[in-house]
Amino acid sequence: MSVKIMVVFLCAAIGTAGGYFVMCTYRRNFVYLDGVCKMIGELKRNIAYRRDGVASIIGTMSAESVQLKKNIAEYIDYAVGKVDAPQISRGFLPKETYERITELFRSIGRSDGSSQIDELNMYEDAFSKLREAAEIKYSKHGAVAVKLGFLLGLGVGILTL
Amino acid sequence: MEELYRLIPDKYVAPIRSRLFYERISEVRIINGAPVRICYDGAYYFLCKSGITKDKSCAFVAEKNEAESVVMRACEHSLYTVTDTIKRGFVSVAGGLRIGVCGSGVMDGGELTAVKDFSSVNIRLPHEVTDCAAGLFAKVISGGSIKNTLIISPPAAGKTTMLRDLCRLVSNHGYCVLLCDEKYEIAAVSGGQPTLDVGCCTDVISGVDKRRVFETGVAHMRPDVIMADELMGNDLNMIVRASTCGIAVVATVHAYDYDDMLKKPYFKQAVENKVFTVFVTLSGAPRRTVTVREGDGHER
Repeated sequence: MSVKIMVVFLCAAIGTAGGYFVMCTYRRNFVYLDGVCKMIGELKRNIAYRRDGVASIIGTMSAESVQLKKNIAEYIDYAVGKVDAPQISRGFLPKETYERITELFRSIGRSDGSSQIDELNMYEDAFSKLREAAEIKYSKHGAVAVKLGFLLGLGVGILTL
Repeated sequence: MEELYRLIPDKYVAPIRSRLFYERISEVRIINGAPVRICYDGAYYFLCKSGITKDKSCAFVAEKNEAESVVMRACEHSLYTVTDTIKRGFVSVAGGLRIGVCGSGVMDGGELTAVKDFSSVNIRLPHEVTDCAAGLFAKVISGGSIKNTLIISPPAAGKTTMLRDLCRLVSNHGYCVLLCDEKYEIAAVSGGQPTLDVGCCTDVISGVDKRRVFETGVAHMRPDVIMADELMGNDLNMIVRASTCGIAVVATVHAYDYDDMLKKPYFKQAVENKVFTVFVTLSGAPRRTVTVREGDGHER
């Protein structure tokens, strides 16, 4: 009997872990996009007043997302002349997010202050929409994924018996 | 040194590092599609794999967009930080480097709004020559007060270097100096701190035009002396105003010599009105000489 309970418990745990993994996937996408929106906001504030270089503005930011930190470091390597073109790694990023972020890093710093802020406003709109979608996915679908994972695991455990 | 190496392609860095003395280089000139030139010991040469040469056939030839690459590296790929200075023809880089920039202007209603398609750059390197103004310092300070001094020289003859050292000496002597570093090349302030030695009692205002510096400086900083580089004719009104407020002015002007300076109407008038009492003429390479005249116009 105890073996049977163990099997059911194990299956439910594996299912829950699977669901939790899906939720984490949603979360990291949301955290990345949230970080990008904050970065754009910081760029806009700085360019409107201090006009520091892009590398020094984003270099001092503390991003929560590991992928965003990596992308910022890759951009800084380009800005300080270590590489000839910004090589932004994709990591877990969905195609649309990756294309947008690559476009942002390639175009930033190539125009005067007011044009730059206009351009950043445009990117902010685009990334805000992506962030909203990611937030919904994380908060609603993430919880559903954990519950489904648990139920699926439980179901598989019972069927296995 | 590292600042220059950051700006230019690696292939140019190698011969400069291995074959040349950095402190003897005053300019690196890059024109898209043309041989790269370097001003070394006051004379122009072509840059090649083995260092410098007079033979342009073996010189490095700049690539199609090399001037733009230099400008973008200079501003760390943040063009908006330098658009205003580019419109005035230059970009300032940390360490006191100044890059003269040529390109195509974009005009809107008679106003220059941007510069595009950069065609050439002239990277000018600053040099600190400690105590080069020691002899001049003795003539500028007299009876505890500082005389209004005008340093006259053609471009690249060392007037900024002389002004910087004079600033250091006057400042270290305990006078409050207000330095107007419009192009970031005298004190080369980076992160709020001068990277070149301008003395311990020097307040530096960087990147601001002389008119504002004179207005705000006189009112708020209470300097004993204001130092400024490259005066233009319309700057003289401010100097007269500062002088009448009891503040001395040490400045530089582009002219071949004293007589050449007198051909500029504003400056001729300033001499007649005895706005300046000491005139220092620097002659360019190879025979660098310093000539000092006092208010009576006689050479000393």
